[in-house]
Amino acid sequence: MRNILRFSAAIAGLSFLVTAAAGDDPLEDAIKARQGYMQVVKFNAAPLFGMAKGKIEYDAEAAKTYANNLQAAAMMKNGAMWPEGTDNVSYAGKTRTLPEAWTTYPKVAEANQVWIDATGELARVAGDGLDALRSKIGAVGEGCKGCHDDFRAEDF
Amino acid sequence: MRADQTGDYRREKIWDPVIRLWHWLLVVSVSTGWLLGQFRDFATVEWHIYLGYCTGILVLIRLMWGIFGPVPVRLRTLLPSPSQIMEYTRHFGNRKPSGSPGHNPFGGLSVVIMLVLLAVQVCTGLFSEDDALFASGPLAGWISTGGVLRATAIHHVVATLLLVFVGMHVAAVLYYLLWKRENLIVPMITGWKWIRVIQRDP
Repeated sequence: MRNILRFSAAIAGLSFLVTAAAGDDPLEDAIKARQGYMQVVKFNAAPLFGMAKGKIEYDAEAAKTYANNLQAAAMMKNGAMWPEGTDNVSYAGKTRTLPEAWTTYPKVAEANQVWIDATGELARVAGDGLDALRSKIGAVGEGCKGCHDDFRAEDF
Repeated sequence: MRADQTGDYRREKIWDPVIRLWHWLLVVSVSTGWLLGQFRDFATVEWHIYLGYCTGILVLIRLMWGIFGPVPVRLRTLLPSPSQIMEYTRHFGNRKPSGSPGHNPFGGLSVVIMLVLLAVQVCTGLFSEDDALFASGPLAGWISTGGVLRATAIHHVVATLLLVFVGMHVAAVLYYLLWKRENLIVPMITGWKWIRVIQRDP
């Protein structure tokens, strides 16, 4: 009996901790989620850019994997990470997303589609040699800019 | 009367070879660097960084030349006194060549401002980042992410300010050429300029 009580108390305590860590603001959770998402994108894109620039030796298998990951990330339906009210005015200092992402909708979605297409093109050829990788990587960078230039503040 | 003197004007060599070469190298370095910055892409972004180094070296050379160089290019000559500015504004609209032996007060002031802007531009560029192209200045890894964002933001604002100042510089040169009928471009190539001789009482 005493063990069961202890166990229940432990679970209760743990669940409180987990709730505290997740935060009680779902909007802020969405901001954190998309920032983590961007880290994942950056982590997979960086070696591809490194190879294309000759800073890392080209590796067909690795390039294919990273490019596939990038495409998979791009294809995620993650509109829920961008709920209304999570712009850099409402959450100053926490996000760089400008209100224009929502006020000029669907411009941001169109820009996003350009990026999705560019990652698809890259994933198709990334394993076919350095020249093939180079021919498609520039468009991926342009795809990033499509949103970053117009919908992201320069600073927090 | 010799051929290099007509009326109140006399041909004199006011710009030394270093400053002339420096000026046109700066034109190439800044305009190319600026364009590669504005229209940067994956293939050419590294060249923007190299041109930033060139511009930085040119700014350092100019500072040295502003201390050790000839009188017309010295930094002390460039900074005008308020009375010089007042005097100059009275003659600004006159439709005749100034015959000035160097920069006019506003020109000198704008040289100093442009050198400061270029120095800021080169320094912030060292810490800037373009995360869409995975390109960054060589020192960006040494400071915090917040610092990189701030440096990049300043870098972008100063790029616009430089465009404004270069535009004013070119506009002023054209104003002198077309309105005041004084060519300032040829002297920056040959060094020779028509200078107004100060009239002395006989």
